[in-house]
Amino acid sequence: MNYFVIVYYALLIGGSCLAAYFKRREIFLALFSLTLASFVMGIVGGQDALWAVSIAAGLLALAAGTAYAFREFLVIISGTETAKALRTAPLTASFGMFVIFTYAVLGIFAPVIAPFGEAEVISQSFAPADENMLLGADQLGRDLFSRIVYGARNTVGLALVATMIAFVIGVLLGMVAAVKGGWFDQLMGRIIDVVMSIPGLIFALLLLSIFGTNLIILVIIIGLIYAPRVFRLTRAVAGNVVVMDYIEAASLRGEGMWYLIRKEILPNSTAPLIAEFGLEFCFVFLLVAGLSFLGLGIQPPTADWGSMVRENATLISFGEITPLIPAAAIALLTVAVNFVVDWMLFRSSGLKE
Amino acid sequence: MADDKRVLLKIQGLKIEGYSDEKWIEIVHGVDLTLHRGEVLGLIGESGAGKSTIGLAAMGFARDGCRISGGSVEFDGMELTTTPESDRRVLRGSRIAYVAQSAAASFNPAHKLIDQHTEAPVHYRIRKRMESQEDAMELYDRLRLPNPREIGFRYPHQVSGGQLQRAMTAMAMSCRPDLIIFDEPTTALDVTTQIEVLAAIRDIVDQFNTAAIYITHDLAVVAQMADTIKVLLKGDEVEEADTVTMLDDPQEDYTKTLWAVRSFQRPQKSRPEDETVPIVTIDNVDAAYGQTKVLEDVSFDIHAGMTVAVVGESGSGKSTTARCITGLLPPTKGRILFSGEELPASFRARSKDQLRQAQMIYQMADTALNPKVRISDIIGRPAEFYSGLKGAQLKNRVDELLDLIELEPSKFYSRYPPELSGGQKQRIGIARALAAEPSFIICDEVTSALDQLVAEGILRLLDRLQEELDLAYMFITHDLATVRSIADEVVVMKEGRVVEMGPKDVMFTPPHHPYTDLLLSSVPEMDPNWLNTVLEERGVDNIGEAART
Repeated sequence: MNYFVIVYYALLIGGSCLAAYFKRREIFLALFSLTLASFVMGIVGGQDALWAVSIAAGLLALAAGTAYAFREFLVIISGTETAKALRTAPLTASFGMFVIFTYAVLGIFAPVIAPFGEAEVISQSFAPADENMLLGADQLGRDLFSRIVYGARNTVGLALVATMIAFVIGVLLGMVAAVKGGWFDQLMGRIIDVVMSIPGLIFALLLLSIFGTNLIILVIIIGLIYAPRVFRLTRAVAGNVVVMDYIEAASLRGEGMWYLIRKEILPNSTAPLIAEFGLEFCFVFLLVAGLSFLGLGIQPPTADWGSMVRENATLISFGEITPLIPAAAIALLTVAVNFVVDWMLFRSSGLKE
Repeated sequence: MADDKRVLLKIQGLKIEGYSDEKWIEIVHGVDLTLHRGEVLGLIGESGAGKSTIGLAAMGFARDGCRISGGSVEFDGMELTTTPESDRRVLRGSRIAYVAQSAAASFNPAHKLIDQHTEAPVHYRIRKRMESQEDAMELYDRLRLPNPREIGFRYPHQVSGGQLQRAMTAMAMSCRPDLIIFDEPTTALDVTTQIEVLAAIRDIVDQFNTAAIYITHDLAVVAQMADTIKVLLKGDEVEEADTVTMLDDPQEDYTKTLWAVRSFQRPQKSRPEDETVPIVTIDNVDAAYGQTKVLEDVSFDIHAGMTVAVVGESGSGKSTTARCITGLLPPTKGRILFSGEELPASFRARSKDQLRQAQMIYQMADTALNPKVRISDIIGRPAEFYSGLKGAQLKNRVDELLDLIELEPSKFYSRYPPELSGGQKQRIGIARALAAEPSFIICDEVTSALDQLVAEGILRLLDRLQEELDLAYMFITHDLATVRSIADEVVVMKEGRVVEMGPKDVMFTPPHHPYTDLLLSSVPEMDPNWLNTVLEERGVDNIGEAART
């Protein structure tokens, strides 16, 4: 028994007692079950296990603190309407926003932030990390940290453009189908059904092997593969708006279809569409990474997180975590976007009243 | 009424707060209420007066986003505000029941009526399932539902609205509660159906000596149902008195204005002597939704500057006629003429000018105005679209229109529809129609979703606009009071056909077509004995059939 262990248990038990005294039921349950679990962990894993728990708790607290501070920062710098909405954001959502913000900064200022070029060979292959290279070198001796920073620009940028293409196509067709109805709606619906019945990754592989792995073609193909899901959502959302009296009033006025879509329907369906944008972005992002991993996505020497995982995969067998770093970057962004989307979905469903 | 006159419900200094804009705002400011066993109390007031909130508080319940912040609710000696939720829940359903405005929305569409009826008594172990079913059939019989032994085995969508509302009342009775709260139970019904439900509710409350709180905004209805009336305004009590006193001798100014609401009546105009061409002619129109025929051989004229009221129950084809005129539903047979010129059947084929001539004002201003568009754009768009106005000219025109509908331009110019009250929204709807500079406006139940005071304001506005702009109105309504106040000519419709038509004074003096007669006699009057008189005239037992024939 040393001081660390004593302080550890004293803090946990003290915290649970305080929570119980102030009738914070969830906090009490969490703290006290952690105390009980720590008894077992302490006996089985010794002091190291308890250290790991403390570090994990510390990291969690740090993330929560960052999220809280970032939310306050956003509330202060934004206008009254936005600030009101932001104040309702849970910590997970503001943490997500913080991560997205960080990635955006990384991507936009990549040449400034990265110490080396993305294709610059500066060391021998698989060199370990030193004060020069924050995360070590990859299989060709390029700086891994610089490549991750450039990867944020390439992978995320590509996914963003592909998602936008999917949305432009899907939203446009979905709106027209909802407004026009009849044969056009039927025809579009069946075409979409056919496209959706083919698994996305296989369809992408097929098309890429036909048209070649040009960056522009890649973006367009991914956009086309994801457009059907957007189409379906848009048609359903717009379908609910089209039956409103104000649409009837506008069409009786003699307004054209384009006006109806732009001025009457779109403003009333933005909330679910934005939420869907976030979700789709994650899927597209994972597909881009997956294609790169298979060697069909972004081509070397351009840095890209998916192909970085594949290229460094051999290191896994030597017990190195290097290939997992780009994978973790992918995972973190996906989780962050989903946190934000969850909050938006909650808001858009709650705002109906 | 039985001799048992003990106090059943005593509410004192009740305060309720609602949560909005991150603050708790008081919406009921200390209301007192005492209800004895077997007594019926009418709560009346405009929307936002806190009627429903108080009704729910009588069960110790506050809606989501509301809380009871002060005062006491004592039910049969039990203080509801401090009782634990679990005990209150036992009380609700077994000793206090609630009948909501829309029975259609309150029944679960996936279960048979009788299964929903027996749920509460079986749950509280008051009765066994079979006993409860027998009881349900007896209650259905007492409420004069047709086929009382079989109707319970239908699903909610298989019975009519009036029958559903009575089944709901029967369900509320299933545990023989001491108190029932009726929240606008007949507001959504036609006059002919309303009378059946009113009679049924009154009888059953009498028979079981149940106390009731009857919430409504219709004074004539409350006059039939309640022993005492309490008038509410913005969460405060205005006055309370027994029904006869209240009707004959209201004390407060606010109550007097409520009473006087139905007095608005404008002089009737008659058709011009010389045979001018009517502005709209509906000529032998048939229409159908798919295979179902909904209009048969409908013809009538609307002359410039006149108001034609089209009346009938729901499903009589009033709104379908409007859809034929606007071209949303091309007729299968017959013609629509505009100033003597035949219009293309579908609105898509009509010219911009033809579309401009006929405008429409909708029943639900909530769905008729795009919630995401500013008032200035809602009104400005037709002006821009038809007259090509731009910039400062457009802004002047919008200001002019807002002045016309008596809303201050500077205040409303850049607001959004959800920020407005119901009456203001309806005015914006009117302004949008006027912006097109039409000669003919279809008003589809424009006042039926509004409180009486607000509705009267809208009627006066429409009348003034007609004088100033020489508009012709087609006024679709099921409310005969509205017809009486604004119409020049009346068209009575039933099951897709025109039953009778003519100038208003002729239509309101006997002899009538039997259907017109039924409609007219079903409109509640302020006389507390009106319901008894009507029931006597029709013969109490066959009231159900009388209303359906």
